[in-house]
Amino acid sequence: MSEPNRAFAFVLVLNGVLAISCGQAGEAGVDHEVTSLGSAEVTARLLEIPGEFPPNDLYDYAYVLKYRVEKVHRGKVLGEKILVAHYNPLKPRSSVQDEFSGLVGGNLKKFRTGDVHRMALEMPLDLLWMGGIFDKYFSQRGIRYWAIWTNLVKK
Amino acid sequence: MPRVYQIVFTGCFLTLIFAVPLTQVGIEIYEGQRPQVSELFLHLPTEANLRGFESEVEDSSWFAQFLRLWMQYLRFELLWDLGEKVLLGRDGWLFYRPDVQYLVEPYRLSETHHAAGDDPFSAITTFRDQLSRRGIRLMIVPIPGKASIYPDKLTRRAAAPDRSISSHTLELISRLKKAGVEVIDLFEPFRRLREKQPMPSGQAYYLRQDTHWSGMTVSIAAGVVAQRIHNLGWVDRGSTQYDLKLVSVRRRSDIIRMVTVPGIERHFPAEEVRCYQVVHRASGKLYKDDPRSPVLVLGDSFLRIYQTDEPGSAGFIAHLARMLKHPLASIVNDGGASTLVRQELSRKVDVLRGKKLVIWEFVERDIRFGVQGWKYVPVFAD
Repeated sequence: MSEPNRAFAFVLVLNGVLAISCGQAGEAGVDHEVTSLGSAEVTARLLEIPGEFPPNDLYDYAYVLKYRVEKVHRGKVLGEKILVAHYNPLKPRSSVQDEFSGLVGGNLKKFRTGDVHRMALEMPLDLLWMGGIFDKYFSQRGIRYWAIWTNLVKK
Repeated sequence: MPRVYQIVFTGCFLTLIFAVPLTQVGIEIYEGQRPQVSELFLHLPTEANLRGFESEVEDSSWFAQFLRLWMQYLRFELLWDLGEKVLLGRDGWLFYRPDVQYLVEPYRLSETHHAAGDDPFSAITTFRDQLSRRGIRLMIVPIPGKASIYPDKLTRRAAAPDRSISSHTLELISRLKKAGVEVIDLFEPFRRLREKQPMPSGQAYYLRQDTHWSGMTVSIAAGVVAQRIHNLGWVDRGSTQYDLKLVSVRRRSDIIRMVTVPGIERHFPAEEVRCYQVVHRASGKLYKDDPRSPVLVLGDSFLRIYQTDEPGSAGFIAHLARMLKHPLASIVNDGGASTLVRQELSRKVDVLRGKKLVIWEFVERDIRFGVQGWKYVPVFAD
């Protein structure tokens, strides 16, 4: 193997080791908050992000995302596919809470299609969030859940 | 060159190249995360994935975040620069840059928006027609931006009182009126008030450090709208009696909230705002919406301020309800009056049952910069 190829292989192996070693903690996304907050707790897969998230400059928005429920741990949700509003989705959940949001948080850093999240949910959205709402699914009737706590479920 | 120099230079060069990414990886591992760089090897190297990776690296970089913060701090301390979205006016007044851009930049409503199918005129007239088919009337209320009413607080050169600087909005108002749309022009009454009835010292019709109007101005605007509704005879006057209760709140500037300079609040403390809460006379309780009202109000944060924000029940909606003598229904979507609020209405279309009048408020900069533009929204399913 030539020198550059050896270096590339080393970086690849190093990243693989790091990825595996860092994937051990909290794999199921369980913590005290997600198991106790809100009226429902689900593990669900993020099916799509319908467009770009709005910037967090003058306003704070909630952005509605579509999930497929994989497991209901607590409470009740209606349907296999649910619509969940996340507060300021450009920010990591650990630092998203502010004076307007009420209690929101979690360990999720970034929303990515296909990822699985464990979430503590509350409803209805209209009574929980008074600010701007991006809801690209506006033509679909039904409940919008408010995500209080969102943890990444590691694959 | 001596070998020791070569080693030192090589070492410095390698440090420059690798110090940042290796430190970033170290921080990420310490925080229990998978290193961002591993994403490079976990996805196919397509153009979209590589651009996404680049963007994520920029967003998550500890160095970028740390340095950006302190660069902004230095720029503020040395140059009084508050960032790309904020303009520092005269006498401590702050302006939101898109408000000013909307006023001063050349911009043609008919060309820019129409070509993109993103036209406020079409969106409004279409919405008017949608409602009209169900016997509901529409009233449009464009709110003047702060810079339209207080251009002299932005720059001394814009202080000529006879010069109209909100020509884009006035042009849209004129076109809408010609098309038979009922539009409330608040520009003229607000300017007249400024000239004829200056507020007491230290107060103004708009907040000095915020994008919104003052607690007193919401009541004035509600008065103009209520008077027009009465003149048109569109809605019967109700019988609910409301009283006013003077309160003061301290409002933290929405413009300053955007600025990430450390310690910025020391330079721009919260503003004290006087406003009137609307109180139901019979029960003594604060004003509350009624979804069964014949009047629905749609709009943005100009409706939310003082209404669901502190102190509550002191915003435009409560004051209009007091003047019409019956509670109103409302849907408010911050920054989303151009399209998002109609999408929300479409989701809750049952709220239109029994309505006689829809009042649609939006701040004038949304004519150009409205979030999501001015999309066609099929409010009714059929």
